[in-house]
Amino acid sequence: MTPSLLIQSLCNRTALLALSIVLAGGCSRVDHKQSALDPKGLIAQNQYDVFMLAVWITIFLFCAVGGCLLYVLWKYRAKSDEEAKEIPPQSHGNSKVEASLIIASSIILVILAIPTLQGVVLMNKVPDPNDEETLKKLKLDRSQIDGAITINVTGKRYFWVFEYPQYGIVTANELVFPVSKAVRINLRSEDVIHSFWVPKLAGKMDVMPGHENFMWFIANQEKLLTRIDKDGVPYTEGVEQAMPSVHDGKMRTAVFKKQNFTDEFEPVGGLFYGQCAEYCGNSHAYMSFRALAQTDGDFDSWVGRMQDAQNPNLQPGPYDPQKDYQSGAVVLFADESLGDNVLREYRTPDGADRGEAPNLSGVWEKAHSDNYEKGKILFATHQCGQCHAVNRTGIGAKGPNLTLFGLRTSLAAGWMRNDEENLAKWLRDSESVKMGNLMWNGEGVTDDHPLRKLKDDDEKVNLLVDYLLEQK
Amino acid sequence: MATESVKYVAPESEVKIKNKVFPRPGQHTSGIVDWLTTIDHKKIGLMYGMAALFFLIVGGIEALLIRTQLWSHNMDVLTNREYNQMFTMHGTTMVFLVIMPLSAAFFNFLMPLQIGARDVAFPRMNTLSLWCFIAGGIILNLSWFFVGGAPAIGWFGYAPLTDNRYAEVLNDMGPDFWIFSLQILGVASLLASFNFITTIINMRAPGMTMMRLPLFTWMTLFVSFLLILALPAIAIALAELMFDRTYGTNFFDYLEGGKPHLWQHLFWIFGHPEVYILILPAMGIVSEVIPVFSRKPLFGYGLIVFSGGIIGFMGFAVWSHHMFTTGMGIVATSAFSILTMLIAIPTGVKIFNWIGTMWGGRIRFETPMLFSLGFITMFMIGGFTGIMHSSVPIDAQHQDTYFVVAHFHYVLIGGALFGLFAGFYFWLPKMTGNMMSEKLGKLVFTLMFIGFNTTFFPMHYLGMIGQPRRTHSYNEGHGFETWNQIATVGSFLLGVGVLIGVLQFFHSFRSKKLKPAGKNPWDARTLEWTLSSPVKEYNFARTPIIKSRDQAWENNYGSRENHSEKEPLDDHGVHMPDRSWTPLITATGLFIFVLGMLFRVTIEFSNLYLITPYEIALCGIGVFVLGVIMWATEGPGGYHLFPNEEEE
Repeated sequence: MTPSLLIQSLCNRTALLALSIVLAGGCSRVDHKQSALDPKGLIAQNQYDVFMLAVWITIFLFCAVGGCLLYVLWKYRAKSDEEAKEIPPQSHGNSKVEASLIIASSIILVILAIPTLQGVVLMNKVPDPNDEETLKKLKLDRSQIDGAITINVTGKRYFWVFEYPQYGIVTANELVFPVSKAVRINLRSEDVIHSFWVPKLAGKMDVMPGHENFMWFIANQEKLLTRIDKDGVPYTEGVEQAMPSVHDGKMRTAVFKKQNFTDEFEPVGGLFYGQCAEYCGNSHAYMSFRALAQTDGDFDSWVGRMQDAQNPNLQPGPYDPQKDYQSGAVVLFADESLGDNVLREYRTPDGADRGEAPNLSGVWEKAHSDNYEKGKILFATHQCGQCHAVNRTGIGAKGPNLTLFGLRTSLAAGWMRNDEENLAKWLRDSESVKMGNLMWNGEGVTDDHPLRKLKDDDEKVNLLVDYLLEQK
Repeated sequence: MATESVKYVAPESEVKIKNKVFPRPGQHTSGIVDWLTTIDHKKIGLMYGMAALFFLIVGGIEALLIRTQLWSHNMDVLTNREYNQMFTMHGTTMVFLVIMPLSAAFFNFLMPLQIGARDVAFPRMNTLSLWCFIAGGIILNLSWFFVGGAPAIGWFGYAPLTDNRYAEVLNDMGPDFWIFSLQILGVASLLASFNFITTIINMRAPGMTMMRLPLFTWMTLFVSFLLILALPAIAIALAELMFDRTYGTNFFDYLEGGKPHLWQHLFWIFGHPEVYILILPAMGIVSEVIPVFSRKPLFGYGLIVFSGGIIGFMGFAVWSHHMFTTGMGIVATSAFSILTMLIAIPTGVKIFNWIGTMWGGRIRFETPMLFSLGFITMFMIGGFTGIMHSSVPIDAQHQDTYFVVAHFHYVLIGGALFGLFAGFYFWLPKMTGNMMSEKLGKLVFTLMFIGFNTTFFPMHYLGMIGQPRRTHSYNEGHGFETWNQIATVGSFLLGVGVLIGVLQFFHSFRSKKLKPAGKNPWDARTLEWTLSSPVKEYNFARTPIIKSRDQAWENNYGSRENHSEKEPLDDHGVHMPDRSWTPLITATGLFIFVLGMLFRVTIEFSNLYLITPYEIALCGIGVFVLGVIMWATEGPGGYHLFPNEEEE
């Protein structure tokens, strides 16, 4: 019985070892959506490198010490009952062996300590653009640091606010960033502690209330374009396939078309999955987000669209006959068909003359469908606007900003794909999708709240879906 | 031949206040009264152990519910709040109600036997410690039945999630139960620790110098010091939190200028030494088992003792490695990172020395040895992943993922629990007088070893591919399902193994069929093995005079001058104290106080306040004070025994 158990434990240990080597060697596919084993940015790569160093060190130690243990167990096992009663020499220790083992283990730790300290500095400080030596070592170009963008991230139960102070725009749950620039992240919380984590770009940093934290990341375009196909063979993806533009909806279309939501690997290289990593309450598990990499041009276009959408001076106003309108400008007119005193958006035609009463039945084009306009009314009357800002920056709003919502790939803080079906499901009964979410359970939302009455009202839900998804 | 006994007669000079309501139960007390009033360290140890094994089953069921919920994506075995309550209760239970009291059970039972004492220094305080522990366990689990149910704040209770402002159930009482239960469990640990320290320093048998102490007793001493130094930090943190929640102070409320960071520092400056409080006793047990089953003395005894001390000391200098991602800045992060790496050295020393002990021995693979070998290998893996986490860049990815879950379960199950099971299989024959079935023991080990690794090894990989901790659910399309299913299957295997083990332990007390153990069934080395199994209530008929480190071994195999001698019994024999009700009364007072503080009941009758909010709590304090006064005045009582030398 003794040898059989010994062999058993030996097998276990070998299996473990084999498994860890398989995992460490990267033989199995490791580029899952949220995998830290598939770094696509400078910081994540650094963290991955230190991790692999530690893995090899510990595998070596495990083999050395474990092998030693196995040898001792085999060599000095009592082979018979008589031998089990023998008395071996009663030695009490050997200070030379003990001292040399201590020194050896200290040296191994130094090997790990050096890259650790370098990594600490790297993740806490964006390199100085004037420090050419460091930039060279990190293979960065000065322009990548000089043109760094800043994003103020606010963690809220259970979604994320992304504010771009350089551009005066605010979005939620989908962070759009330029692939070639460093991204500085200031982390703030308005309630409890959260933690901001995009494994492929950088390790996590906590979002502490009352204490602003900082982290930064920069994507690596070359790595981002390197993908692995179904058979595990790497290939290079084109820039347009990897980073379809967000501002005109190509990203959303590409993501939806290329793969199912349930597929294990991400549909496009420029799409990153993020997750709150600090327990923050009932719906903590649902608090995820996305980060979308864009080429510089596409990023600028997206910023431009967001700025226009959130610029209060560019919001459509009631028609004023004394004003000059450019062709295509949107103005508001009363439309009796939608209800009393309801204003509707119209697009100014070519050559609209000043002072002329507009011809709504023909030349003046309706800016949106009837469903959109009805949905917009519902959005207002169902108190959605109390928490959600649309076409405003709405800093301090309780819920996620919904400006250009129709461009987003995901819904409900990254939990679902942002399509008609899911959005309808979400609006009808968000509690069944994400139990504990604050749209359903937040302050002031009771059974009397119109939101909670949408359950059986398919017509209203569809109107709201049309309105929201047309925000693009 | 029955031992002669004579009732104790108090000398004229002794203060005598007759306590008529709760007199000290005398020599022939038996049954339930005996267990309620006992001050015998062995019975207290057994009760500690039995209660902890019960909570092990409770915490284990919670763990299995957690694993069932994670079987696949978007499961609804539990709601999200129930899941959050499960992991909070699982963590709190396993740390405070299982591993700590299991260690305390062994401390209680063995430490006096190992140093040649008849009991601990303060036997009644020992009883009070037991009842405080039971009260704490009851209070924590009572929370299931009141507003909000069990706490859903994590075993670490990070502020400001514990603040009323962020409670997700109106008037949630869960965190209050958690606070008071931990406070009262802290009292239990403090009482026991002061007791053990005093006992080890003052009550060693003649000749039992510090450097002759068995390793397990050394670890008892270190752990006791760790407890008395670490517990005040959490006591303060909990008191502040209690004030925040109950009286609107703002220690941790950032909206009023409080600091959530403060909680984390206070919690982890307790919480990290706590990790060593959990693992050092298991290390002590393994350091006893390995020499016995290798038939060699411990390799580098001095160094093992010293490294235990260093681990304990440095345990207070590494707490912030739990906070690498909270934004402490470059300097603090680097410093704690290096300190954490350093603590790996004394830990490694222990592993080297255990292997050195086996080198050149005659190794027998009995169940206690198998568990000890399981301990070494599993603890090694947990230690290695620990070294990884000491590196900040690695930790930035691992923190709050399943990789960390894998890491600390390798330390706390593969380490602490395997060590404690080794202790049970090793010492239960001494406690019960019966040998346990080796076959069954080996089955338990095999189930636990395979189940444990199947559960927790895949979690390393899960963490690396991005599964965060403390999430009741995960989404489709991340590739988490397969590995989670393997882990869940493993967890049930582990659960079955643990359950069979626990049943075997209880069975060995009652069974008539098992082989009697005799004094020294394993041919073991330390002093407790010179006594009969089960140990007599007076432990040592004559106080032994110690001549060497492994006294039982030396008595059998050593040279004549190393054999222990016995002090002659003087003419009043062995004075055995009577049992006492006062510890139970005192603990009941604390229990009532806590319930009063939790509920703050108001009972009104036609505009007359019959009970105002704090009256029940005040009653509790009254009972407590009464208990202390009775305690102080009840006098020693007791009886004298005149055992023969053979009756040890």
